[in-house]
Amino acid sequence: MLWVGAAYALWGTRVPRGLDLPSIDLSGKIDQDVVARSERYESFFGFEFIASQLVLLAVLLAYARWGIRFARESAAGRIGTGMLLGMIGLALVWLSQVPFRLVEVWWDRRYDQTDSGYVETLFANWFQLGAEFLFICFALMVVMAIAGRFPRRWWLAAAPVFVALGALFSFIYPYLSTTEPLRRPELQAAARDYAKEQGMEPVPIVVEDVTDFTSAPNAYAAGLGPSKRVTFWNTMLDGRFGDDEVKVVLAHELGHLSRHHIQEGIGWYALFAWPGAWVIALATRRRGGMANPAAVPLSLLVVVGLNLLSLPVYNAISRHMEQEADWVALETTRDPDAAAGLFTNFTVESLDDPDPPAWSHVLFDSHPSVEERIGMAEAWRGRSR
Amino acid sequence: MRITVDDDLRRSRLTVFFRLLLAIPHLVWLAAWTVLALVAAVLNWFAVLVTTRSPRPLHRFLTAYVRYSTHVAAFVGLAANPFPGFVGDDARYPVRLDLPEREPQRRVLTFFKLALVIPSLLLAGIFGGDAFSYGGIAGVASFLAWFAALATGRMPGGLRNLLVWCIGYSAQLSAYLFSLTDRYPTSDPNQSVREPPPEHPVRLQLDDDGRRSRLTVFFRVLLAIPHLVWLSFWGYAIWLAAFIGWIAALAIGRLPDPLHRFSAAYVSYQGQVYAYLFLIANPFPGFVAEPYPLFVTIDPPVRQSRLLTFFRLLLALPALLIATLLTYVLIVISFLGWFASLATGRMPLGLRNAGAAAIRYLSQTYAYVLLLTPRYPHSTPAVAEPVAGEPARAEPHLPPAEPEAAV
Repeated sequence: MLWVGAAYALWGTRVPRGLDLPSIDLSGKIDQDVVARSERYESFFGFEFIASQLVLLAVLLAYARWGIRFARESAAGRIGTGMLLGMIGLALVWLSQVPFRLVEVWWDRRYDQTDSGYVETLFANWFQLGAEFLFICFALMVVMAIAGRFPRRWWLAAAPVFVALGALFSFIYPYLSTTEPLRRPELQAAARDYAKEQGMEPVPIVVEDVTDFTSAPNAYAAGLGPSKRVTFWNTMLDGRFGDDEVKVVLAHELGHLSRHHIQEGIGWYALFAWPGAWVIALATRRRGGMANPAAVPLSLLVVVGLNLLSLPVYNAISRHMEQEADWVALETTRDPDAAAGLFTNFTVESLDDPDPPAWSHVLFDSHPSVEERIGMAEAWRGRSR
Repeated sequence: MRITVDDDLRRSRLTVFFRLLLAIPHLVWLAAWTVLALVAAVLNWFAVLVTTRSPRPLHRFLTAYVRYSTHVAAFVGLAANPFPGFVGDDARYPVRLDLPEREPQRRVLTFFKLALVIPSLLLAGIFGGDAFSYGGIAGVASFLAWFAALATGRMPGGLRNLLVWCIGYSAQLSAYLFSLTDRYPTSDPNQSVREPPPEHPVRLQLDDDGRRSRLTVFFRVLLAIPHLVWLSFWGYAIWLAAFIGWIAALAIGRLPDPLHRFSAAYVSYQGQVYAYLFLIANPFPGFVAEPYPLFVTIDPPVRQSRLLTFFRLLLALPALLIATLLTYVLIVISFLGWFASLATGRMPLGLRNAGAAAIRYLSQTYAYVLLLTPRYPHSTPAVAEPVAGEPARAEPHLPPAEPEAAV
């Protein structure tokens, strides 16, 4: 009951209940060639994702079955060996995904969505992989240490640790990328006005240079407390979008912060962390539980399986938050034309399929479709009259 | 191919002081000889490609050249005392180089020699034991030895052995490059330095079969990250412990037992992390200096001179200088060993032993800095050392030492 109550509270939104999104005819707004091109572009990723996940599961299945052999490579104790097995599991995951990353780059290059080279792609995320290795070591250290003391109930104590880690990561995330302050006085002024309008203190607006790996436009809100900020990719500010459209993006990202979506995200994570940890504890019991390094390869399989299963739920929550941020942006800017123009432009520039197939939308989309977003702009216009 | 030194370590202060100036005629003569040697090496390369053997006159000429350049390097670097002759006559010089006789060589290896030699050149660059490009470890060792020899009239044995290792490697490289042999240069210190180092309170034991897991080798740097993080945290505590230990050692004349245990565990653990990171050993180490194929043992605390304790950091500077260069050796070794281990599933013995010798020296240096021992690090490049009262731990995969061999 507590869980349901918490979930209900987190699901609350500023979007009016029962808002009816009008049906939108995109044929007059977006060139049909562009629509067809974006459909082709996006449909590939759906199939590629499925293939990559199948390979991933196969690799982890094999690792769960035979991975314990790598314990021979360790001279460390119980927890150290668990760390090694965790890292080797991640290494295998990384290796299994290399071909898919290369294929993604090939596809993106084909559709002019990136200038990244193949070799560059292989070596670009080693730093990130190192951070992931470190994280999994820390996670396993926590879990195996607690499981050593409480073999059957470790999940009760471990989940809060991970939630706290999630909160910590949310706090430091804005500091992990190199950014510069936004040097557009009119946008800075608009940011101050919008923040006031949304009932929050002004936050820093910064720009991140991403031209080395993509030409796709984007922006995001991140941080907690003093680390809160809105980050524009420089591709969003290179002239392809009008000032009014950029302001809609600004209001949307500020909406995430004013509606406490980061905190809500941590809340959702907390709600799923306990049952997730319990499932891992249950699944690894036959391998001696998480106190035993032999259980680590299997636990990786369970974690990835749970992630896959929860993907539609995660995307539904994400779309729900994005929808609310869109609504807040419309209420702040009162400019549905700019919003519709922005979303239309996303299809042209980022090749977002404006109306993806339902299965693809449910499984993969973390944002409402372009059609839904334009529909919301029209719905807001209808209500504001 | 082997280098031996018949040297009593005594040095003439006068010739030491003017060593570089005295070497000028040799360097001029060597330069002229080098031009001819390069031409001869090209001819020799073609000859070996066609006939698989080096023509007798060319072999004799190039052998003499390699010997001579080795003598000059040894003279310049203070590894030997007498002024060398100008014809590369081994019989009359204390540094002797046993070069292979004319032997059949493999054409394929000869053909690709220039490409194959690149890894060896990388390592030789750090060793720096070539008469013309003197630098790297050999350069630093000679620099330090110059002061020591001037002050005492003797060459420190450890530095001399270190120099012999570096010079010997360059000599092997020259012989390989000039097609005198198709045997690849080995960096194994056991092959060039046969004299065991004296007993030392900080010892290294190595029990590694050379096999490597390709998967963990491929991701070795990433896999080592948790250890590097832990090592850095421990490192902060160590410097605090070292400072407290320094005060305590000045007061009571020895390092207190708890501090000794704490610092000794750190030095031992650091050796294991380096061994893992730089591919000198295969298994993932534990986080508290648990048993490991490469294990650094440190004797219990002993009384130390307060005066030497007071100036410990200053006194350690020469050792730290060498230790820094040996760290570069470890980096190059792991870089080369990474490819070799991925390809063959084994770490080449020469690289493994060179790396172990480097870790041994690093451990002794840190132990000295952290006041774990009053004994200065011994720079003889040895893989393992004898322990007082017991035989040196078996190294089943190393060639047995020849106690009678003089260095």
